[in-house]
Amino acid sequence: MAAELKAAPDIRLEDLTVGYGDVAVVRDINVTLPGGKISLILGGSGCGKSTLLKHILRLHPPIAGRMYIGDHDICGLSKADFRCIKQGLGVLFQDGALLGSLTLGDNVALPLREHTRLDEAAIARIVRSKLSLVGLEDFMAYYPNQLSGGMRKRGGLARAMVMDPAILFCDEPTSGLDPINSAELDQLLLDHQALFNMTIVVVSHDLQSTWAIADYVVVLGDGRVLFQGDVDALRATTDPYLRRFLDRKAQGGAVERLEDELDRSLMKEDCSKYWTSLRK
Amino acid sequence: MSQEHSSLTAPVAAVGRASLSVVNEMGAMALFFLDGLRLVFSSWSQFPKMVRQIFFIGVKSVSVITLIAVFTGMVIGLQTYYALAKFGSEGFLGAAVALSLVRELGPVLTAIMLTGRAGSSMTAEIGVMRITEQIDALDVMAINPMSFLISPKLAASIISFPLLTAWFDLVGIGGGYLTGVMLMGGNAGVYTSRVESALGWTDISGGFTKSLVFGVVVCTVCCYKGYFTHLRKDGVGPEGVSSSTTSAVVMSCVLVLMADYLLTSILF
Repeated sequence: MAAELKAAPDIRLEDLTVGYGDVAVVRDINVTLPGGKISLILGGSGCGKSTLLKHILRLHPPIAGRMYIGDHDICGLSKADFRCIKQGLGVLFQDGALLGSLTLGDNVALPLREHTRLDEAAIARIVRSKLSLVGLEDFMAYYPNQLSGGMRKRGGLARAMVMDPAILFCDEPTSGLDPINSAELDQLLLDHQALFNMTIVVVSHDLQSTWAIADYVVVLGDGRVLFQGDVDALRATTDPYLRRFLDRKAQGGAVERLEDELDRSLMKEDCSKYWTSLRK
Repeated sequence: MSQEHSSLTAPVAAVGRASLSVVNEMGAMALFFLDGLRLVFSSWSQFPKMVRQIFFIGVKSVSVITLIAVFTGMVIGLQTYYALAKFGSEGFLGAAVALSLVRELGPVLTAIMLTGRAGSSMTAEIGVMRITEQIDALDVMAINPMSFLISPKLAASIISFPLLTAWFDLVGIGGGYLTGVMLMGGNAGVYTSRVESALGWTDISGGFTKSLVFGVVVCTVCCYKGYFTHLRKDGVGPEGVSSSTTSAVVMSCVLVLMADYLLTSILF
């Protein structure tokens, strides 16, 4: 019997180590992302957030550990079974990842054409309704390169939602967007969650989004999980790194670090002359 | 002593590593081709995609193939006429043009032209889709990227290459007629009758077999290079796509010529 997802399942990661080849990026992840909630995977640039997401989607094999979506051990599923599971997942990629050769309407219709036997009239109705949810019903005939970054993301969200997924994954949905567009996208996610009662997992480093939409937060850093819990617990944290991250404090002066580096170099004298001349 | 030993064996080891890497890549390409071919027949929904690819690879290449074929035929007609005239055998011009085009130049030049026109764009298109996460997006939508992207191109190449080769042969023979008969004053009836009598079924079927194999080689190499563009060590992002495209075109042309030699020695 083909594997199927229940509505709003949770996601459990057990002793998971993710990375590329033998190089681990994040180690020993033991996290449960609750079903029917919006979970945010937070962390600085390059800490492994998107890598973790790609591993959950099985685009890369994990180095160690297990991953469960609902009751399904997705590391142990056959390709065919995981294909059934994937039909219950929606993914919004960083830039929308709309297929450049198809119009927005065809992009959104694609999963329906590939996985259902609906006639074209029914597909057109569903596509229009999903695009109207993200405010793009007038742009069905546009190609992705004719749309703005924000519109491409909203189009990607419509495509991710078209099969009414049990879980929606969003990779940096607000990055590169202006504050108004970011707030609109956050509101869209909240509306979708309320409307369809799905599990939503958002990968982001946007703190404003975190406070606006997250029910549950996982913070990555230094190659491991630094924090997991609800938003209030994160606000109250006293961990020095997390406080610096949340309060947006810089790690130290860039000029001092550069000077330290130059002090160790062979060109110390030349460089100090250079710095002195700059300061004059 | 051991340093001396390693400096002596280093070149041999490097050749060995390079050879293993080539064999590995050829094996991976063969598996890639078999996977793509298997999925050609996976569903009826493949048919419209195939038709679109036949339009792109086949129909859109007709003009360039026509241009190349007519000038190739004209050059062969002219050069062969001068050579035959020295022995008073101008009557054999039709046979010489037809045989050289149908057995050799038609399949090879068509494949090389299609590598430049369609193969390079296949690599670039698939490579860009790879680096912009479009292939990952297909994968997570439970749409097999091999079936969606590669199989229709493979089927279209298998259909288009022989048809374009046939068109090349026909136009090339016409080009030979232009120079050999209309320009140099050869006999029209002798030219056409020699074309007809010289060409046997082995020549025609051999030419088609070659074009079929070249279609498979060009499409497999170009799609493979684009599909795995993210694994290149000599460049990432747009630079990787550019390197993949260059390498796909060079490798396709080399493999077409190598396969041509092998097939000529087996088929004729």
